[in-house]
Formats: sequence, C-alpha cells, structure tokens
Amino acid sequence: MIRYLDQIRAIVWKDLLLEIRSRERIAAMGAFAVLAGILFNFSIDTAIVRPEDVAAGLLWMTLVFGGLLGVGRTFHIEEQDNALLGILTSPVPKDAVFLAKVAANFVLLYAISLLVLGVFALFFRVSLDANVGWVILVLALGSLGFVALATLFAAMSAGTSMGETLLPILVFPLLVPMVVFGAGATGRLLGGRPFSEVDGNVRMLGAFAFAAVWIGAVLFRYVVED
Amino acid sequence: MTAPAPAEAPTAGASTGAAVLEARGLVREYGPVLAVDGIDLSLDAGEFLTVFGPNGAGKSSLLGMLAGAMRPTRGEVLVRGTPMSWSDGEWRSRVGIVSHRGFLYGRLTAAENLRFYGRLFGVDDLDHRVTEGLARVRLSERANFQARQLSHGMRQRLSLARALLHDPDVVLLDEPYTGLDPSAAGVLRGVLTELRDGRRTVVMVTHHLKEGLELATRVAIQVAGRFAWEGSTGGIDRGDFERHYHAVVEGGS
Repeated sequence: MIRYLDQIRAIVWKDLLLEIRSRERIAAMGAFAVLAGILFNFSIDTAIVRPEDVAAGLLWMTLVFGGLLGVGRTFHIEEQDNALLGILTSPVPKDAVFLAKVAANFVLLYAISLLVLGVFALFFRVSLDANVGWVILVLALGSLGFVALATLFAAMSAGTSMGETLLPILVFPLLVPMVVFGAGATGRLLGGRPFSEVDGNVRMLGAFAFAAVWIGAVLFRYVVED
Repeated sequence: MTAPAPAEAPTAGASTGAAVLEARGLVREYGPVLAVDGIDLSLDAGEFLTVFGPNGAGKSSLLGMLAGAMRPTRGEVLVRGTPMSWSDGEWRSRVGIVSHRGFLYGRLTAAENLRFYGRLFGVDDLDHRVTEGLARVRLSERANFQARQLSHGMRQRLSLARALLHDPDVVLLDEPYTGLDPSAAGVLRGVLTELRDGRRTVVMVTHHLKEGLELATRVAIQVAGRFAWEGSTGGIDRGDFERHYHAVVEGGS
C-alpha cells in the first residue's frame, strides 16, 4: 500500500512539476476563465436579468469548458516521447496511474475553480459572505467528478486524429447530472440560502464524484492496454 | 570463417523450463495483418539475442509482447517461469526497455527523469542509484539539464540509464543505435557488454548488422513474422552473415 501511494505521488509530482515549468494548461484554463467571466458580464442585460440569478449556471459552464481545455491535454505530455508507454511498462497498477492523473488534474482544476469563483464574485455581484465554505465544497466535489470523467475520456481520445474534437462530444452528455446538482446547489448557496436546502444536491454531487472516480479507475486499464 | 549454418528450425532453442525469458507460440495480429506468426524462444541468463529483419517483419511487435506492452493475440511470455499476468505488474520490475523513443519528459532534468522512474519501480537507495546510473552512461555532468536540452545521443544514453535503474534481469532494446554518433554508440556498446558479461538476458532488435553481431551470443532473422533463421554467433563472419542475411530476407535461403 505504501508503494502504491508512493507511485501515485510520483506521477502527481511529475505532472504538477511539468505544469509549473510549462504553464501550458493552467495558463489556457485561467485565461479562458477570466475572459469568459468578463464576456458573460457584458452579455447580460441587467435591466432584465439579475446577474446573481444566472451566475451559478454561467460559473459551471465556464468551469466545464475551461476544464476541458486543460484536462483534455492531460495525456499530451505523455505522448511527446511515448512516455506513457514507459509508465505502462512499469510495475505501477493501471488504476494508480488513473488516480494519479485525476489527483494532478484536480489540483489544477480546483485552483481554476477558485479563480472562477473570484471572477464571478467580482463581476456578478454575488455575495460569498454566508456560504463560502459550502460553495468551495460544492466546487471541490464538482471538480473531482469532472476531472475523473474527463481524464478517462481524454485517455480514450488521446492519439486519435479527432481527439480534441471528440472529447467534448463524449464527455458533455455524462456531465449533465453534475451540472444540474452543482449549479443548483451553487445558485442557492450564492443566494444566501441555508445549506440544509442543498444538502441533497451536495450528496448527489458527492455520489457522482465517487462513482466517476471508481468507474474510471476500473475502466482505465481497458482504455490504455493494447 | 565458416558460412552460417543452414536455416534452423524456427522454434530452435525453445522451452527449457528454467529460462529467464521464454516465449511460447507468440502470435500478434492487427486485423487481417499477421505481424508475428508463432515465435518460440527461450533465453537464459547471459544470453544476448539479436533479431535482424527487414522493415515490417514484426520485430517491434515481438519486442512489444516480450516487454508486456502489447498483448499477444495467441501464445504467452514467461519471465523466470512466471507467465506475464496483465493484472499483476510485479514481473515488469524484472524487465528494462530501451526504445528509439526514450520515454523521457523533456522538461524534467536527467536526474529527475531517473528519480521519477525509480519511484515507479520502487528502487531502493534511489539517490545513489540515480547518481550511479548517470555516471554509467557518462551523463553525470548533465544531471541537472532538462532532457529537451540534451542531444539525441545523450537522450538515448539517459534512456538506457532509465531502463537499467531497477537492475532488471531482462533488457529489451528496439533499434538502440539509431541516430547515435560514434561516441554515444561506444557508450551504449560498453553498457551492453557489461550487461552480457553480468549475466543479464538481452534481446535487441536492430538493422545494424555490425553492432548487432558483435555482442550477440545468438542471432535470429525475422521475416514475415517468423524466425526464418536462428543460430549461435560462434564463428560467424560478418561478411558471410551479411550475404546470408540478404539471401534469407530475399527468400533465397
């Protein structure tokens, strides 16, 4: 078990170090998140719609699209020198490879989700005073479910000629429950409603994240094995 | 020099039970294409098999199956008598692989690349092994250079250090001499000689007859997925072997 965890830590360390040095994915996701927040802000007629009423939905859309920009490229760093084969021919269990990829992607996406939350708080006049802790928890569960699904499908589409086009087509339909529960909970929490009102949504979001991670870990070997 | 022996049975040398690396009836199909067509081999410690063959003969597919990177369509591979199991990766720690792709991360330094793979393989005393590995391939002074800043030859040497870091029983090499300058080729040759003399089992796939012959204890010529000829290197003259190779490849043997 200790060795298993060390193998996961090694891959997470490698992925994050490569990202810190290249800043390719974090820059793309961060720029997208900020620009999307600004554009959504200008696209809403505040005489008709109250910004805080639509903020949660737009926040989750920004996360989903921005997240795909980064998570979708998670296996590109492995393709450059066929490094994924180096990992797959090592004694590391395939589920450990998947969990490590999910963990590294989660760190990146969660950082971006907090940035997005800040951007929307600024532009959409949403108050974070009452429920900021619960909102952060909802974003964490949503980010985890999202990266688990997106990582699995990124592995499937990596190396295909239409990989980047294929990924959203494969992933979006499966993200519907996550967006429904996540946006619902976030909207109410940002509106200052008590956590008890969104308790069910958060539980469902948690179940979705757990299921996505578990199913991904089981299926990953069939995706990457020759 | 005596001419190479006439074509031997394609299954020569198969199955001795205690072999370090054994393949039984390996077949690999890609749809309708038969890349490897029923290869058997058995290699003991200290044996160095070089597989020659034209492009498309299925050499890399054979190596991929021996490495556990590719699932055979039929047949099996055994490492020290244990069949390769896809659910248990422990046997993989007995195998080291050098490909013409280095499995390296360009933005990690040479030492970081080795340290990363060392952790995947659970190597003990990792810092010492990394230092030793870099020295072995004469890259100590480049330890803190990112892999993308190294020349092709240096990357290939680093890849060799990566493959040997966990002290594998079996080393598999796919065209390791491709693109190497004489100096880098010399380092590679030195390390391969050490491996052979250190009783490691080596399988090398190459087009380079000179390099392939000089270290091998056995050679095979693979054509259309099968070992069309296999034999010991004892007493083989390179010139005669080259003529024999062309005869076999062109179907004249």
